[in-house]
Amino acid sequence: MQIERDKRGEELGPNQYEDAEGYIAPLPAGSGPRSNPLGEFPTGPAIGERLPDIVASASDGRSVDLHADRDGQPAVLVFSRSVVW
Amino acid sequence: MPGFEAAGAKLYVVSYDEADALADYKNAHGATFTMLSDPNSDVIRSFGILNTTIAEDDHPWYGIPYPGVYVTDSDGVIIEKFFENNFTVRPGPEQLLAALRGEEVALQERSDSDAEVTVEVEFEGNSLPVGISRQIVARFSVPEGMHLYEEPVPEGLVAASIELDPDLEGIVAYTAVTPKTQSITLTGDGHTLEVYEGDVVLRLPVAQNGRAMTKDEEGRWVSITGRVRWQACDSEACDLPGEQSFDFRVPAGFTVMADMGPGEGRVPPMNGATHFQKMTARH
Repeated sequence: MQIERDKRGEELGPNQYEDAEGYIAPLPAGSGPRSNPLGEFPTGPAIGERLPDIVASASDGRSVDLHADRDGQPAVLVFSRSVVW
Repeated sequence: MPGFEAAGAKLYVVSYDEADALADYKNAHGATFTMLSDPNSDVIRSFGILNTTIAEDDHPWYGIPYPGVYVTDSDGVIIEKFFENNFTVRPGPEQLLAALRGEEVALQERSDSDAEVTVEVEFEGNSLPVGISRQIVARFSVPEGMHLYEEPVPEGLVAASIELDPDLEGIVAYTAVTPKTQSITLTGDGHTLEVYEGDVVLRLPVAQNGRAMTKDEEGRWVSITGRVRWQACDSEACDLPGEQSFDFRVPAGFTVMADMGPGEGRVPPMNGATHFQKMTARH
């Protein structure tokens, strides 16, 4: 699936660019941190499927197996761009 | 996030940040949820949600996912997910907790003689900071034997929906969360339609883009206006369409910004600029 970026939006002033929904940021819509997909894009496993296995390092360096770690509890799994920027 | 603990659920955040950046974030924000580091985007790829619009040599942006949230039940099965095109917006905790709980609708008992649909509309949350979505919730009580329609409907019928005023500025609506439907076939033309029965809860996530705040002595505010529409039918006849307008005045709140440099006191410091430079240099 070839996905395009959503570059719609105007320059409003110095370092002020709005996107298609009116949000303003210092970089133009469709650049770098504003790489929003235009139209449909993949959203991973479907509702009704088991969440895929995840093993990754936590912030303290320990290895976490999500399904083992949640220990029979429901989980909320957030995929974030970055906590840095 | 005490709300998630209270709901008996665990919260995980995955990003392509290095573990030391996550540790600094966690410390700065006092976060108690589990943060997972995916610096090579292996987990992101395994979910099939790598942002492929970014070139492989475009650092530090390459490697991010299409951001979104999955909510599972206690068996680890996905019961809801939230993905929107605009990365500026992410679901607030109210929205995720509602998905975790499922819809335990506690509406008043209706009397048998009461054959009208009733609806209660609320804004779920106490503020609407830029970029965080919260939901307008419409809870319908539909008398037994009657139903409401899911969109789309043929001309002449009105689907159950939450709509913002078309000229409302500064508020953006996202993908509605709707309950399971039943299929019914109309006796006249054989059309099959999807309907809601019983206690029906519609949720419309909304966010503000920062362009329509008003200020007074008490703070900054946004207004969210619109209407809930529906039409109730049984197997033979339909009521006239119903409509209830809403007008919520909500504190605009404040968005927690990323720490990207000198700005002491404004945002929790987490060595953001240093981490950003490291991420830009990695390949």
